[in-house]
Amino acid sequence: MQLSQKQKDRIMDAMIYALLAILTLSMLYPFYYVLILSFNKGTDSLLGGVYLWPRTFSFENYARFLDDPHWYRAFLVTIMRTLAGTALGVLFTCLVAYGLSHRDLLFRKGYFTVIIFAMYFSGGLIPYYVVLRSLGLLNTFGVYVIPSMLSTFFLLIAISFFQEIPSELKESAYMDGATELVIFYRIILPVSMPLIATMSLFLGVGQWNSWLDSAYFVQSEGLRTLAFRMMEVINKSNAPMDAIAVANSASAGVTSYSLQVAAMVISIAPIVCVYPFLQRFFIQGIMLGSVKG
Amino acid sequence: MELDTRVTGIKGKTEQRTQFWKRFKKQKTLHLFVGLGMIFLLVFAYTPMFGILMAFKQYSISTGIKGIFTSEWVGLKHFKEFFNDYQFGTIVRNTLALSLLKILFAFPAPILLAILLSEVKNLKFKRFVQTISYLPHFISWVVVAGIAFAFLSTDIGMVNKALLGLGIIDKPLDILTNPNYFWGLATGSAVWKEMGWWTIIFLAAIAGINPSLYEAAQIDGAGRLARIRHITFPGMKGTIVVVLILTIGSILGGGLVGSNFEQAFLFGNSINNSTSEIVQTYAFKVGLRDGRFSYAAAIDLIQSVISVILIFSSNYIAKRTSGSSLF
Repeated sequence: MQLSQKQKDRIMDAMIYALLAILTLSMLYPFYYVLILSFNKGTDSLLGGVYLWPRTFSFENYARFLDDPHWYRAFLVTIMRTLAGTALGVLFTCLVAYGLSHRDLLFRKGYFTVIIFAMYFSGGLIPYYVVLRSLGLLNTFGVYVIPSMLSTFFLLIAISFFQEIPSELKESAYMDGATELVIFYRIILPVSMPLIATMSLFLGVGQWNSWLDSAYFVQSEGLRTLAFRMMEVINKSNAPMDAIAVANSASAGVTSYSLQVAAMVISIAPIVCVYPFLQRFFIQGIMLGSVKG
Repeated sequence: MELDTRVTGIKGKTEQRTQFWKRFKKQKTLHLFVGLGMIFLLVFAYTPMFGILMAFKQYSISTGIKGIFTSEWVGLKHFKEFFNDYQFGTIVRNTLALSLLKILFAFPAPILLAILLSEVKNLKFKRFVQTISYLPHFISWVVVAGIAFAFLSTDIGMVNKALLGLGIIDKPLDILTNPNYFWGLATGSAVWKEMGWWTIIFLAAIAGINPSLYEAAQIDGAGRLARIRHITFPGMKGTIVVVLILTIGSILGGGLVGSNFEQAFLFGNSINNSTSEIVQTYAFKVGLRDGRFSYAAAIDLIQSVISVILIFSSNYIAKRTSGSSLF
């Protein structure tokens, strides 16, 4: 029997929808699984068989998370670095970009050469470590926020964004005798909200998820981030035969594993909550980025 | 006459100079802003570049930043040591294997997803699939490793528990520890995490294709597969080439398709070491953990040089063969 074009199309449609549905499920389910696991009694989770709904519902994992000074402290450090790092990064990058967005700026080409070269070449981890060490940044909170103050990638995006702002806005302010700093703060920043939202999202997510700098540059326990603590637990339990240790550490139904699952949910939650609303911004962001290369 | 031009010439020069100062003074706040940025780059980007020198020296951390310049030259000693390292072959093989596997699988995945999505007419479904598919991009590798542990570990992993319970296997699969599984684990998790994200850019390329091309093809009797092959795919070619160049240039680091270092660091352990140790994890271990700074800097340098060569040569090849290129 010969299938008509319409029938063929329908079969293909069905296949595409099925494939995409499977794919979506494979991306959604892991998050859901971690969520239900975090609400399941820790000792019970070790038995397995929890697939769709918590079997023995419990808030114990979260309660322990907030009670545990290590996890709690790491949580606070992560929140602080995200807020401070994002604010500093957005402000400083925009400030530098504002200066560079003036087409008649002297030495403009020279400045750009310095930036582009810094984008493509780097000295690598070891010399970077030496620089941070001589600046006295190792083992300080500053190491999380200061070296990431200027993002060369967003610098270029911000420059092209500022250049699109009609110059009449600035000129009328000049007439009124406003200084550059006032113009930047009162005129440029308020009309750049889409840019600032995009930058905040990317820098914020980067800060929130970051653990490498905590592993490289920080030894003090009080400065560990949430992601770093999770890494520690994973590294420990990843080693073979340590699941016994995972189970042994159980107290009041909570295991170090179930505690880690709660920590994972806490670290995923803000991202999941924020990002549907900012979607159009970050799609804009990646597009701008791709145009710039 | 001669005197005249000289006089005017000088006059022009001084005039230029005063004008230059006038302009500079007028822009002085702007130069202050930009200057702060330049100082930042000088400290955090350019000083480390000079630090590359330590790969050719006997650097000791106690000498601080000055030591980069004052410590004793040893030439290529550290490079030779790396080439003669008993682990050299394994490390290089693992680094290349991971990078190659990602180009083969993690790079084409978003292209396929974009084509599939472009064939979906139900906008709500399309948007839903997209929204879910780029969620993993925003989650850290640590969490991805945690999820992998929850699913795959031999003792508490859900997959093993379920398969054992159903009697499909009689011994848990040691995916997280067996060296045979590491490359697949790294490639698979990279596909899972980054596929949706890079789809955005390919979907945009498809959106830019002139719809009349599809209509014309339909009138000529082209079926759906034919339209994908002859219109959609060629329409994405420029974007594909640019993303491929970017990927190849950063592939030793894992680049656009997931960080090799973070994967090797998080999924690596003492048992799968033979396939999970890569150049970067090794440099980290000998450098920051064992304090052999010069040796680690030399290993780092080799990797950066190869990356630069890769990006320039792939750009050159792309320019010659397809006309699209990055620079």
